Amino acid sequence: MSRREFHFISGASSKFWAIEMKGDSFDVTYGKIGTSGTAQTKSFGDAVAAQKAGDKLVLEKTSKGYVEIGNARNTTVSVASDPSTGTSGASAGLNELYFSTTQNVADIGNLKTFIGLKLADYKSPKSIKKGNYAYKVSVSYEDEDEEDGDGGDFIKRLTSFLDSAAATDAQGFVVGNWSVEGPETAQPIVDLFVSKKDRLPNLAALFFGEIAQEECEISWIENCNMTPILDAFPKLELLRVRGATNLEFLKAGHKSLRALGVESGGLAREVVAQICKADFPNLEYLELWLGTNEYGGTTQVNDLTPIMKGTAFPKLKYLGLRNSEITDEIAGVIINSPIVRQIETLDLSLGTLTDEGAKALMKLPQDAKLKRLDLHRHFVSTAMMKQLKTLPFSLNVSDQEEADEDEGGRFVAVSE
Amino acid sequence: MVKLEPCDPKRAKELILNGKARAPFPVDGSLDLSNQPTLRKLPAGLSCFELNLTGSSIEELPDDIRVESSLILRNCENLKKLPDGLTVTTLDLQGCNSLDRLPEGLDVWFLNLRGCVALSHFPKSAAIRHGSLALGGCSMVANLPAYLKKLSTLDISECRNICELPADLEVGLWIDVGGSGISELAPPNHEVGIRWRSVAIDHRIAFKPETITAKEVLSQKNTELRRVLIERMGNERFVSQANAKVIDRDQDAGGKRELLRLPLENDEDFVCLSCNCPSTSRHYLLRVPPAMETCRQAAAWMAGFDDPSKYKPILET
Repeated sequence: MSRREFHFISGASSKFWAIEMKGDSFDVTYGKIGTSGTAQTKSFGDAVAAQKAGDKLVLEKTSKGYVEIGNARNTTVSVASDPSTGTSGASAGLNELYFSTTQNVADIGNLKTFIGLKLADYKSPKSIKKGNYAYKVSVSYEDEDEEDGDGGDFIKRLTSFLDSAAATDAQGFVVGNWSVEGPETAQPIVDLFVSKKDRLPNLAALFFGEIAQEECEISWIENCNMTPILDAFPKLELLRVRGATNLEFLKAGHKSLRALGVESGGLAREVVAQICKADFPNLEYLELWLGTNEYGGTTQVNDLTPIMKGTAFPKLKYLGLRNSEITDEIAGVIINSPIVRQIETLDLSLGTLTDEGAKALMKLPQDAKLKRLDLHRHFVSTAMMKQLKTLPFSLNVSDQEEADEDEGGRFVAVSE
Repeated sequence: MVKLEPCDPKRAKELILNGKARAPFPVDGSLDLSNQPTLRKLPAGLSCFELNLTGSSIEELPDDIRVESSLILRNCENLKKLPDGLTVTTLDLQGCNSLDRLPEGLDVWFLNLRGCVALSHFPKSAAIRHGSLALGGCSMVANLPAYLKKLSTLDISECRNICELPADLEVGLWIDVGGSGISELAPPNHEVGIRWRSVAIDHRIAFKPETITAKEVLSQKNTELRRVLIERMGNERFVSQANAKVIDRDQDAGGKRELLRLPLENDEDFVCLSCNCPSTSRHYLLRVPPAMETCRQAAAWMAGFDDPSKYKPILET
């Protein structure tokens, strides 16, 4: 049998794992993507035992979030050429493995790579390195004391990056923490991107607000309307935003956008409505962190109906309704919804899934395209987890939590 | 045809309230016309994303109204009729107590009919699917339509005339059966979550209440759940099994009376009056406030007297 290769890409790591069956033995290779890795051979008494052991390892890897490439390899997206911007349809597009940037809570504020590139902090033109990097601009308290620096002025630093040669080549860019003295609105940053959009002619992926909890709580991050960003960068394929306070997608549309992620401690139903009404004909990946009512998460399950109907985003392959306190309700509705027959991955992780919701998920259609179910960080009982494992999907049910009956029950992973 | 520029929701509200809106009338986004008790009519040709008419005096909606997502008509007590073929994702009719029917051809994912006490029949054909159907307190409804196939949640609490579910109905998450006529659930719903007036319980408590013991009730730490257990068990069985303490005894026209008390952890004491009806001799066990100390005081409270000395029945029948 041929070689099967699996990749795991999260904010903090990018690893591969490969297996090649050879009758009564198999070779396993693993390591960082881009290296040749470490190889091992395991032998068994017969081919059946080898196959069984190999299958078990594959299941282990996929349930940890490894994705088989070949399954996931870029089907070259036919982004229609747009004569008005001169973009051609020939670009291979981003590998969809990179869409899911923040897989675990531990990834927040810990981003080491972005779209498969090593992430480097940009402070001044001296920060530019040789080779292919993605850059991140952020400011902190310490910057204020640095001599002949920019005094920790985010706008000055971003301007300096945009004026540098690194900007012209940048495919991916990360906006880090921009406020040092209490929350500041992102509006001037958006305005700056728009006024200097020509400096980023190749921008395909933008992470807006890669901010650690220590820098600023997720619910304190003051965002703004992102539509001008979408309008300014026609080649954008991936937009990820952290923080939903004052976030808007007013009359948004984008022909090339393939992945949209909104991480929040509480997502207002108005923002969900704006996203549902947006014109994203090529959207394959939609990840929304719904959060909790305590931090502005007013979205109810019925507000998600346009997504569930499958009409809003005809090309959707991945749907993440994460970090939600209505995970059970979502499970109850989504099992019957047209969208679940269309997508390959359903991600309900980081939320408050209980046995009731899990029982509903047992009724997911098995004759459709669905392949992966990510439920990690949940409140499902061990017995119910066992039942879930009988589903013919690659399943992640790690991070089992227990409800705290004294403290009011079950909480989402990320709120304040 | 000229495409009309959609009206800003605030401006639209003004125009509608002043009776100046003219068809066609597209509105850009969510139109909030809640708590407008003088609002009786909407303009023809109205279309919007969301429409909230909570607490208005609206009697019917224009036939050509188009609402993309949620149509909220809570407590519209004059509402009599909805247009046939109405298609919305969410329809909230809670407290529309004059509404006696739903429109033919209704198409909806989330339907809230709580407190629609006049509603007795469902349309002959409609699509109510995928989401939730809440009928709490619709006591006139006796039959659910056969076209109900898949729902996420179903609330039929206090629907005492609903005694069975349509054969093909499969509920994904939970059914609230508190005070309904349902006494068992067959497949495919035999494992679905159960609610009793919003409290999550298991199938045994709902459908095999005879298996509940006083010991189980008293060891239940969750107050809400304990109250449901007592209700399911019935006061009589609960009090006799739990060895309630007799705190007062006397006689009335029905014979011997007893006031019984049982302390409950983290909840008020369970105090009840055990008495017999003078004319039928039937035995009654009636729960009274925990501060009651005598049978006489408890009987007076039930008749509406806080001061037992003022309760002087001339004749007890």
